[in-house]
Formats: sequence, structure tokens, C-alpha cells
Amino acid sequence: MQHFALTIIGRDRPGIVSSTAEILFQLGCNVADSSSTILGGQFAMILILSHPEISDIEQMEQAFHGLEEQGLSVFVRALKPGGEQRPDLPGELCMISVYGSDKPGIVYQVTKVLSENNINIVDLNTKLIGSAERPVYVMMCETVLPENLDDDDLKALMDELKQQLNVDISVRTVTPVEL
Amino acid sequence: MAEREVLVYPDPRLKEICSPAEIGSEATNNLVQDLIDSMYGSGHSVGIAAPQIGVCRRVAIVDVSHNKLGKKHNHGLVVLINPEIVESSGSKSMREGCMSVPDYTGNVERAREIVVQFTDGDGNDQVIRCKGFEAVAIQHELDHLDGLLFLDRVTNPKTDIFKRKG
Repeated sequence: MQHFALTIIGRDRPGIVSSTAEILFQLGCNVADSSSTILGGQFAMILILSHPEISDIEQMEQAFHGLEEQGLSVFVRALKPGGEQRPDLPGELCMISVYGSDKPGIVYQVTKVLSENNINIVDLNTKLIGSAERPVYVMMCETVLPENLDDDDLKALMDELKQQLNVDISVRTVTPVEL
Repeated sequence: MAEREVLVYPDPRLKEICSPAEIGSEATNNLVQDLIDSMYGSGHSVGIAAPQIGVCRRVAIVDVSHNKLGKKHNHGLVVLINPEIVESSGSKSMREGCMSVPDYTGNVERAREIVVQFTDGDGNDQVIRCKGFEAVAIQHELDHLDGLLFLDRVTNPKTDIFKRKG
């Protein structure tokens, strides 16, 4: 079955999800995975879809024209076979909290260290909070460690970065417990 | 007794409210043994409740002593027959998963410390105070006895982080 990635973004208001879901339902799409949230004043949706018959991307794009007329930006991408499957990531799951006075390069410096150590980011949220005079940057980054690293190794890496960037960083394990 | 198959949602038996178990009956004793065999048989689980093996009775077992999160505070294998939480305090958030809801996990906030009253596997009345991971595991298993899954208690981590803003 052909899988597609669908991205929708536009000025937030009630009804974006239901307009989208109506089209998906009428089209006969399956939503395999999705995440939607407000970012600034925009509502953003990302969905992984499949359809038992449609494999043509243009046919898929056409179905969402109505949304574009409502002022939403729509992007459809056809996935390569297997692209809908999440790879098996067996390592420890760690949450990294980074926060401090806003300055350029916080995300870059942190993610550079992660990438150099083959640490995979599976979820990332950043937000500018505080007042206009004293802006504070908050970054929450969920990562999967490679099998040769544990949370103490990640803590050591982040401690070093904490000194360099002059921000607060904490690391904790969030590996799920099966009960 | 035997290791039993663990039911997976949407099996309707996972959403039922269980009735009290009869203390000392053969059925209850067999159920406890099946739960023990099924929990240890799974290799990685730290608790299981009767409805997860298809029995609608208020019985659950917990053993966090083999898990690194439970090493510090635990009561070993705890057999909980007709258990009730009589006191709870504090809060602790953990990312939970469940053998009956495969491939999904979520952050759940539960009491950090609880006092639980129950009858043990030998028919003795017990009251124990548990904290940390053991307390979380007991609350998770006791929810099963009321037809609740951790999915009913998931909190959004993002709202937790930013809830004080504004």
C-alpha cells in the first residue's frame, strides 16, 4: 500500500482538524500516525497516511485543494516503501532540558554534540518564554542513545556544554516502564 | 499452574470492574499462581492484574525488586488480594507502558507514596507503605481492577512543562 506524508499549516482557528479529517474520511485514507500542535499563531499538522488504491501523488494533492482555498498550506509527499515504519531504536531514552537567557545558537550547539555522538533526536520542542526584556529559551529534546552510551555519558557531554553556553541543562532517563 | 496469555486491548475484559476474590479458595490460589507464572514468564514485567489474563477478580501481583528503578524501595513479590489504597501523597510522573497495550507509552502522574491494604497469598491481612516505582506499579495494577488503562491517565508532557506560564 502506498503511504504519504501530509503536512498542513495555517493560522489557527477552530475547524482545521475536522476539515482535514472530513477529506481523509471521504477519500478513504488511513491515518497511521499523526501529530498536530499550535506553534506561534499557526496550527501545524503532520500525518502519515495510506490508501488502499490511490498511489498517484497528484490525485492525493487534488483532494486537498479545498483546504488551500481556506488559507491553509498543504504539502503531500509520497513515501518510499518502508518509509512509514519506525526503525527499531533499542537504546536508552533520555530527555534533555535546556533553558537559559536567549542567545543565538543554543539549538545548534546542543544538537551538534548529539549528532557527533550518534544520538538520535525523536522529539524536540523549543519555546521562547519570559518577557521581551528578559527572554528565556526553553528546549526539550527527547533522544535515543546509541547502545555504547548511557545516561551518565550524556550527562557528562551536556555538563561540558552547560559551561560553554552558560545555560542550564539537565538530563534524565525516560525509558518507559512496562507494567 | 501455568503461564497464561496476556490479553490485549480491545479485549472487553480489560474494561470491566472486577469483583472481590474469595480469600483462601482454590480458584483464588490458582489465580495467584497463574499471575506469578505469567509475570515472571514475560521476563520483563514488574506486575500483572487478574483481568489481564481474563479473570475478573480483584487480584494483582507486583515485584519491582529485579528492576533497577525498584532496587532501593521494594517489598519483593507482593500478592494483592482485594487491595485498597487507603492513603496516598505526593506525585511522580513516569512514562508507562503496559503488556495489554503494546507499542504505546505515555507519561502518567501518580502518587509518589501510598499505603495499601490487602490480603496476601497466605490469607493474612496486610497494610504496607510503598514509594517510588513500587507505588507507581501498584497503582497501575490496581487501575486494571477497575477497568482503567494507563491510557485513561496520560498527561501531556508539554502542558506539564508550561502550565505555570501566564
